[in-house]
Amino acid sequence: MSEASGDNPASVSNDAIRDEVQSWLADNWDPEAMKKGAFGPLGRDWTAKVVDAAWAATRWPKQWYGRDYNDAQARIVETEFARVGAPGTGQDRINLWANTVLTFGNEQFKKKYVPALLKSEINMCLLYSEPGAGSDLAGLRTRAERDGDEWVVNGQKVWTSGAATADYGMLVARTDWESPKHGGISFFFCPMKQPGVEVRPLRQITNESHFNEVFLTDVRIPATNLLGPLNGGWRVLQTALAYERSMMGEGARGPRSGAKGASEKGEEELIALAREAGRLSDPVLRQDIARVIAYKKLNALNTARAKAELEQGTSSPIMSLGKLAMSRILHEEAKLRTNLLDAGSLLESSDYPRAEDANFLTLNAYFTSIGGGTDQIQRNIIGERVLGLPKEPEVDRDVPFRSVRSS
Amino acid sequence: MPELDDSERNELQNTVARLLADRSSESDVRKTMETETGFDPALWQLLAEMGIVGLLIDEQFGGYGAGAMEIERVMEEVGAALLCSPLLASAVLAASVLGASGDDDAQRRLLPDMAKGTSIATIALTGTEGSWTPEGVAVRAESNGTDWTLSGTASFVIHGQNADVVLVVANTEQGTALFQVEPSELGTAIRALPTFDHTLRLAEIEFAATKAQLIGEDGNGWPAVEQGLNLTRVALAGEQAGGARRVLDMTVEYAKNRVQFGRAIGSFQAIKHMAADLLLESESATSAARHAAMSLASTSDDAEPAISLAGFACADAFSAVTAASIQMHGGIGFTWEHPAHLYLRRARADAQLFGTPMFYRERYIQQLGG
Repeated sequence: MSEASGDNPASVSNDAIRDEVQSWLADNWDPEAMKKGAFGPLGRDWTAKVVDAAWAATRWPKQWYGRDYNDAQARIVETEFARVGAPGTGQDRINLWANTVLTFGNEQFKKKYVPALLKSEINMCLLYSEPGAGSDLAGLRTRAERDGDEWVVNGQKVWTSGAATADYGMLVARTDWESPKHGGISFFFCPMKQPGVEVRPLRQITNESHFNEVFLTDVRIPATNLLGPLNGGWRVLQTALAYERSMMGEGARGPRSGAKGASEKGEEELIALAREAGRLSDPVLRQDIARVIAYKKLNALNTARAKAELEQGTSSPIMSLGKLAMSRILHEEAKLRTNLLDAGSLLESSDYPRAEDANFLTLNAYFTSIGGGTDQIQRNIIGERVLGLPKEPEVDRDVPFRSVRSS
Repeated sequence: MPELDDSERNELQNTVARLLADRSSESDVRKTMETETGFDPALWQLLAEMGIVGLLIDEQFGGYGAGAMEIERVMEEVGAALLCSPLLASAVLAASVLGASGDDDAQRRLLPDMAKGTSIATIALTGTEGSWTPEGVAVRAESNGTDWTLSGTASFVIHGQNADVVLVVANTEQGTALFQVEPSELGTAIRALPTFDHTLRLAEIEFAATKAQLIGEDGNGWPAVEQGLNLTRVALAGEQAGGARRVLDMTVEYAKNRVQFGRAIGSFQAIKHMAADLLLESESATSAARHAAMSLASTSDDAEPAISLAGFACADAFSAVTAASIQMHGGIGFTWEHPAHLYLRRARADAQLFGTPMFYRERYIQQLGG
């Protein structure tokens, strides 16, 4: 599976890694072919090639499609892929599905699903939040009951993207109602293509529909699809959530017309907008523009410093700040874009693209400040896990879940 | 000095931290800030022996020839410990302006003693308006062909009352130029100003046909001043980032230990959320200060906006953290005996010296093409 030379990865020199990945890319990567769709739908054939050559997740062990590389070695591979614009590597950092299965699945399960997830051969969705369990996810009430070799699931999930096309969902459900809330949750790999799964699109405040409600009625899951221990699902979930949060801090959608994420936008764009609106000489707006550009720049500098510190082996508190910082960037940029337009922001439709941008961003900023854990929950996490402040007393912590109050 | 790598810079910073933990404790600071000179000569000498006072001075003049990245790290600890000293005035601003002046004679005459810490230098460069720009220069220089005299008022001269070497930026018929005056020529014309930040010393100087010696070239003095100011701004950004971090640590520690309603106040979200926001401010300040230092050291195109960004991000962070700290401490934070107000005073002073956050934001947008 792996073509890496030598048994001890530390003995592989950086130059040797760079040479190997460069020559492999030279032999295999063809951006024109990718554009023309020669690598299949969504470039899946390319991803499969990357996985088979053990470039997809180089930090992972050799028996699991990796190369046992350390972080610095893996970064070399990622840099070389990025240089030629080839996707597919770095999945050990960003593929939350494959990471979760690798960490918590048994041998047989991993053999079946890890390659398929790395190669994007199956579509996935998340079945976490419920109408009654948002910030307090551990208060979830979807139930899974054992029936022979299967689990039978009943309940309702929400904020699920990709539910209609998903083959499997990562599901958290309650399997023990007598234990306190965190202790009665299990984590399942739930087949979505079955009659008891009903998917209804949710209409967002942006008038888009990226999410669904998912109604689960007598949904059946093979007992082998339990990930991690029975009633030990909370820990599995934490691992999966950490991947999701770190991905949200690195990039978010900007204004509607923008193709790139807000964090990657050029510093000059807001200045150009002010100039176009004839407002660049307004001293108050100039202060606000500088402030918003600075928020973006500071977040990029923080992320760069965190990565450098991680590479030196020191853990960095900064990573957990990215999502909170991004939320402020988006809300503040939305206010600024609105102020640049004034009454122009009264309008919508594609005839008024600047208004569309400002108004969309104003609404969609909540995607980042609520989704994946609200800013308020994020501040709790930073306060408790980074700064070491004590937790708020929880009235439902040690109570059997059956007697916990709900709204 | 050959360029340090990052782990050597960490070591430099740790060495300074250890010294200041020992010699610039809160009680040391309180004692020193009540003295007339506002610094501890014995500690100053120790800093000189460690090479900190001569850090930015060229090796040929007895210094270490280090740069922005090293002084930024040192200043993080200076800010954390609220060090009372003429370090910023003499070892950073005056030393770097002299270093950039291109005047070999003046450098030979002044820098060796400055590096040894046996002479303290300062620069008078703004008038009573307090604008560290060419427009802010309020002293006029005149020449009779051989000798120069200065007239006008210079204010906010850092540690002016303690200086052995007084450099002055003045306007001439040719433009701007740098001068030196002997403190003995000034006498009572140099007046200590009462400062809100008791750890800081400022003076005002009235020049009245005061004899002066030209340093560098007549009419072309500002570029050297600007170069020195930029390095000083990076150093000050480091001080602000280090101060912010220390105050946040102090406040978080208090929130873990102070019990009300039967629980540590840090368990209340009202306090916890403030602390989380302040961590973002404080970490952003460190990133901004270090990035500005690196950009200046590598003379990248990005250096000017990076310094402006640090100029307002670090000042705003230090101000926000110190202000919130008093609130989070509650009653004890409102007492003279608690150090929170000492940091707030330093933060407010640092947010004025060499440019305000508003000034830096305006400069930033200009530098980005706006």
